[in-house]
Amino acid sequence: MVRVLIVDDTAFMRKLLKNILFSAGFDIAGEAENGKQAVELYKQLKPDLVTMDIVMPEMNGIEALKEIKKIDPSAKVVMCTAVGQEQMVKMAIKLGAKGYIVKPFQAPKVIEELKKVARV
Amino acid sequence: MPETRLLAEIFDKEWRKVEVLIGEKNMTIGKEVVEFKAISDLELTQCAGRECIRIKAGREIYLNFGEKQRSVLKFLAFNMKSDKFAVYFLSPALRGGVLVSDSKWDKGYFSITESAVWFLSPERQIKIPFSSLGSVSKDKRTVGDKQRLVLSITHMEGKEVVTSFILCPETTLELLQEYLKRILEQQKPKEKLSELEEQILTMVYTGLDSVNIESILGISTDELNRIYEKFVSLGIARVVKVRKEIELTPKGVAIVSESAKKLGGGKGG
Repeated sequence: MVRVLIVDDTAFMRKLLKNILFSAGFDIAGEAENGKQAVELYKQLKPDLVTMDIVMPEMNGIEALKEIKKIDPSAKVVMCTAVGQEQMVKMAIKLGAKGYIVKPFQAPKVIEELKKVARV
Repeated sequence: MPETRLLAEIFDKEWRKVEVLIGEKNMTIGKEVVEFKAISDLELTQCAGRECIRIKAGREIYLNFGEKQRSVLKFLAFNMKSDKFAVYFLSPALRGGVLVSDSKWDKGYFSITESAVWFLSPERQIKIPFSSLGSVSKDKRTVGDKQRLVLSITHMEGKEVVTSFILCPETTLELLQEYLKRILEQQKPKEKLSELEEQILTMVYTGLDSVNIESILGISTDELNRIYEKFVSLGIARVVKVRKEIELTPKGVAIVSESAKKLGGGKGG
């Protein structure tokens, strides 16, 4: 079972992702509400996949991605963005993010995308 | 399309054969002349078990052109009554919030008719009824090597939410945005939604069912039903399924008791 770390600063979005991923057979390894927490949890939990929000307090998703990639260059991180953040997404892809999903999203498409990334 | 004579079928209580002459400015269906500029709506649809083209030109006409269907539809889509703007379009760019990686920019037109907008190119003719439009906004995208201002449009395609982009000169972009905003404004509910209602709307959009929504938000079935009814009355959602809640009759309780005995281990365990 693919273990996922969900990173988002809004509890609502974490709950939403947790629910649709769990229903699709993913195992929720943990959740973090900012980049700093995400990096700490990544070290502890070693998840197979991370869904990473970009705009977050303390440490944003791009910085967290950099840190996670330092710890584990093969980490699979999918960025979770809002419309209008193409530059951030491009930067994230350069830094090694495996994909991105745009909020608001529809469950079947997100699941399909995450399963694809998890298989890579 | 040069003047073309086609054998088609027309639906008038039943399908019957008809000769259609497609000219430069009009088409003659049997003896009836239909000016292209009188066509206000057009779509590929099903009628009496057949795929056909529905043409609205004052009255509605259903025509089946068989293997020529797509080419006639394309020709009519380009020639019907509309305002056309030369654009590049990328549709779909996102589907359900996920990038469509094999989608390519098309050179063509953004066409506005009485009840829909169309993306038109020689290869593709995509109709988006006004009722399927979700939102419109400006966005910066990398096209080729350059950062360009594009118009981002979300719309429904079946049950999927699709985002498409339009690239055109900025003055045209402004004009299209204003026009689409006005259409969306007319469709907007008059009442503002609460934070909880917006969350529920997002969850429905995401694809969660009632049970999950109740459990995530910690609200009762009654409260959720009340909010759903509000959505329906505001025209922002429609009912697809009515959930039934039941309680057992004594007969039902008896069956459960019997079944519990079986589950209990058979030999009195």
